[in-house]
Amino acid sequence: MAFTITCPICGPRSGYEFRYGGEDKGPRPDPADMTPESWCDYAHMTDSRPGVQKEWWYHRAGCGIWFTIYRDTTTNLEVSPDSPETVA
Amino acid sequence: MIRLNHLPTLRINPGAPRSFAYGRRRLQGVEGDTVATALFANGVRVFGRSLKYHRPRGLYSLDGESSNTLVNVNGVPNVCAETTPLAEGMRVSSQNAFPTPDLDLLGFMDALSWAMPAGFYYRVLHKPARLWPLAVPVIRKMAGVGTLPPDFQAPGRRDEIYPAADLCVIGAGVAGMSAALAAAEAGLRVVVFESRPWPGGAFEYRPGAARDGVPYFQKTAELIAAVQASPHIRLFLNAPVIGVYSNGLVTAFQRGRPPHPFDERYIEVRAASLVVTTGCIERPLLFDHNERPGVMQAGCAHRLARTWGILPGHTAVFSVGHDLGLEVAADLFDLGVEIAAVADLRQDGMDPALVDALSQRRIPLLRGWSVTKAHGRNRVTKATLAGANGRFRKTLDCDLLVASAGLTPVTGPLTLAGARLAFDEHTGFFLPDSLPPRVHTAGRLTGRQNWHAVAASGRLAGLYAARDNGIDQAAAIDELVHELGARPGPARGTQFVIAPGSGKKAFICFDEDATVKNVDQAMDKGFDVPELIKRFASVGTGPGQGGIPGHNLPLYVHQSGASPDAHPRPTTVRVPLVPTFLATYAGTRLDMSKRTPLHALQEADGGRMERLGVWHRARRFSEDGRSREEILAVRTAVGMLDASTLGKFRIFGPDAVKVLDRVYVGDMTRVPRTRAKYSAMCNEDGCLTDDGVIVRTSDNDYYFTTSTGRAGVTVEWIRYHTRFDDWDFGIVNLTDAYGVINLAGPEARAVLQRVTDADVSNEAFPYMGYREFAVDEIPVRAMRLGFVGELSFELHVPASWMVHIWSLLMKAGKDFGIRPFGLEAQNTLRLEKCHVIIGSESEQRTTLHDVGLGFLWHRDKPWAKTVGDVALRQTEHQPGRLKLVGFRMADPSAAPPKDGSAIVDRRIRGYVCASRYSFTLKEPVGLALVEEPLSAKGSSLDIYENGCGGQLARAEVSETPFYDPEGRRLRV
Ligand SMILES: [Zn+2]
Repeated sequence: MAFTITCPICGPRSGYEFRYGGEDKGPRPDPADMTPESWCDYAHMTDSRPGVQKEWWYHRAGCGIWFTIYRDTTTNLEVSPDSPETVA
Repeated sequence: MIRLNHLPTLRINPGAPRSFAYGRRRLQGVEGDTVATALFANGVRVFGRSLKYHRPRGLYSLDGESSNTLVNVNGVPNVCAETTPLAEGMRVSSQNAFPTPDLDLLGFMDALSWAMPAGFYYRVLHKPARLWPLAVPVIRKMAGVGTLPPDFQAPGRRDEIYPAADLCVIGAGVAGMSAALAAAEAGLRVVVFESRPWPGGAFEYRPGAARDGVPYFQKTAELIAAVQASPHIRLFLNAPVIGVYSNGLVTAFQRGRPPHPFDERYIEVRAASLVVTTGCIERPLLFDHNERPGVMQAGCAHRLARTWGILPGHTAVFSVGHDLGLEVAADLFDLGVEIAAVADLRQDGMDPALVDALSQRRIPLLRGWSVTKAHGRNRVTKATLAGANGRFRKTLDCDLLVASAGLTPVTGPLTLAGARLAFDEHTGFFLPDSLPPRVHTAGRLTGRQNWHAVAASGRLAGLYAARDNGIDQAAAIDELVHELGARPGPARGTQFVIAPGSGKKAFICFDEDATVKNVDQAMDKGFDVPELIKRFASVGTGPGQGGIPGHNLPLYVHQSGASPDAHPRPTTVRVPLVPTFLATYAGTRLDMSKRTPLHALQEADGGRMERLGVWHRARRFSEDGRSREEILAVRTAVGMLDASTLGKFRIFGPDAVKVLDRVYVGDMTRVPRTRAKYSAMCNEDGCLTDDGVIVRTSDNDYYFTTSTGRAGVTVEWIRYHTRFDDWDFGIVNLTDAYGVINLAGPEARAVLQRVTDADVSNEAFPYMGYREFAVDEIPVRAMRLGFVGELSFELHVPASWMVHIWSLLMKAGKDFGIRPFGLEAQNTLRLEKCHVIIGSESEQRTTLHDVGLGFLWHRDKPWAKTVGDVALRQTEHQPGRLKLVGFRMADPSAAPPKDGSAIVDRRIRGYVCASRYSFTLKEPVGLALVEEPLSAKGSSLDIYENGCGGQLARAEVSETPFYDPEGRRLRV
């Protein structure tokens, strides 16, 4: 992980300091109408599409918060949230 | 050998001898020598034998561009003699040669080279396949270099540093130092990496001069002094760059200096800007036997004399294609080398001053001529030269043949940084046609050869870096661009690769013993792209990392007309740019582990300490592997366990209870002030991840424990599962702030009562109660839990008071026969009670229901969106799951099966989680996860144990728990 990740509190830091928390899938869905299949989809399935994605990171060796960044998975580089590519 | 000791450019101390062993010989070098220069000074010309053909190989370059000079140093194989500083007492030996490099018995391989065409391994030995196993041992024995003993330990100490900088400069030549100084003056913090042991690059040793008449080495020395005086420049010498990555990351390592040549330091620096000023290496000229010992590059011959005071030969022939070669010929003549002739590939375009210098010295200059063949076996004795038309030839005696076709820019770091290279007709270089943001280059790499132009281009790169960092440099940049325009531009370079009429024994890659003929064979097979030819003919895949063939291969392929590309195309460069010890990447062996506050006491009590995760813990306190005495003490009297490794957390704030309800399966809204609540955490699959106890210490303030293994990830877990909720809470990891003593056994209360005034009677402090009281004035948090199945008090004590409280209890318990117990005793004790341990009775797929803890789940709190709730609902009655059962052996005198043994019935139908001999029941008991149909009471289980030889052990599913099923002993 040669790339840097911008923590909202600590600023850009080495990627080694963070733990990946997966693609952003939004808050957990209402459990009421979940089938085992739809729950499994939510819990385990990811889009894994090449390009810019919004994802969660935890600043493990730092301030200890969860936050999201945008990252281009084809270049493995963080993309500014203001960049046009972040509009999914 | 006598050294030239009057030169101002020397980097040796001729008065400080260093003795070392070379094979059986005892040799002497001097302080400042590398292993290679010391060997050369002692007359060693053949350093080793080549990979395939066992051809003699010698000193060709001085910066490790080929594997020619790989030797064994102090038992470490494949050490590059050119870059390893000589240390007193070193043991150096040759490789791949028997008995010696000069007399190698496998030398006949060279005569068989016709039998090993390009792609030899793929083509010749491929079919029939049955020959391959026969060929492998022979090839293994004969090919390859260096021998690594199986018990090899890399010597040396290794550490790592991560300096901070605004600018990283790669290469401390004139351009790099100028860039660093300009940037430092503008206010940047600069890190500079230089792979040689001193800065200065290509000008540092040269007595030549530009028009101002001041020798290069003198002007360069002034620059070096300025760099070393700058407080904002950190210069790493002996530090080759390994790789360049995204977001400005540069990795390098620093070689050790005598007397510790194998001490290495790994360096990572992330800078906003990067300046690459790596200069040029020489591009070899290809001709027959172009790698005979005695053939060397111009810079190698020159530096041997100027830096190490060693004359590279008595009589030299030069065959070069650049002004640098002419300069070296004139200077070596002045130092005492006889120059038989200088052949220049060029007809014109030479520096007139250098042409004059040669004619003044009566050195014949043959324009448009080239060497076509080197003669001699273990060293050069003659060279045959030919004119461009091939009509004129002459053969001259010599013991030194200085040959290089041109220069090649060292662009590896630039391409790793993302620069795209394109062929430049004027310089004959592959140069970046565009640079990524914040990456700059300057100096000889760009084709400039004039000192002032190189320095100015470096300063400009430094100013660009300052501009990257937000420092306004517009005026200074304009001025410098103007100045640079007035200086000489990039010099014209030749694209000449191979001498006419040669090829069969013209080696394009020394490391892999690949000739031009091998490249021809690859092209005959239809390969037309350098990238593919490189692989098929093994060109540039050796330890030199493509340094020798790097640009010759694409030029040659292009000139052959085989390539479909309009211009030559370079092959891809990858990390590591220089061979790097894995031990250097690994760095310091930092095995981080933790000791509880009682560690020393536990050891003093005879505790057998074991590493479990990050902790050291006492497994048992006697020789007895079953811990009989410890178990009986807890069952019949009283014992104490150091449970300090439990995770301990405080969570507080108005929303703390919501958080607990989110992650714990139980209902946390009703935790009374005086009770401890046992609960569990699941993941989204309803699988068990943790269990522990929660107490409420005051309003909106809770204290909870986790299993040892989860302590490190609990904060992360909790914050993850509340990340969408704007809840107001704080969480503090108190794992190391508190120690835990588990005081257990029928006499536990009597012992505790002796050290506290608090009422700890069953009425005042019942089972599952929580109390805070003082023990010898130390505030203690106490819970009545029953993991081991006896009356017990779990005392949470401030870590710094642990030793005191433990000792107090030990003393108080003496009359009752108190003794410490370890993890082995605890395991048997809790097994008798069928209390689960996460990771023993559960694995990744085990749900809360599977282990029989479904009763902990509070199914009516949908508002909490409890982690795992959905899956717990869906798996509650799911068929086909493994269920936790207790078992006894059919034969009570049988030994307990090993943990993890399979439960079989034609196929595997479960496994033993844990099984121990129960001293209380006087027979083995155990827990197992088995398929549901096998989980009914009375079912027979057949257990296959490793090494049982097919002899299955029979067990039977039994009532649980095995010990005190009503739990009376907990409630006394
Ligand atoms: Zn942070």
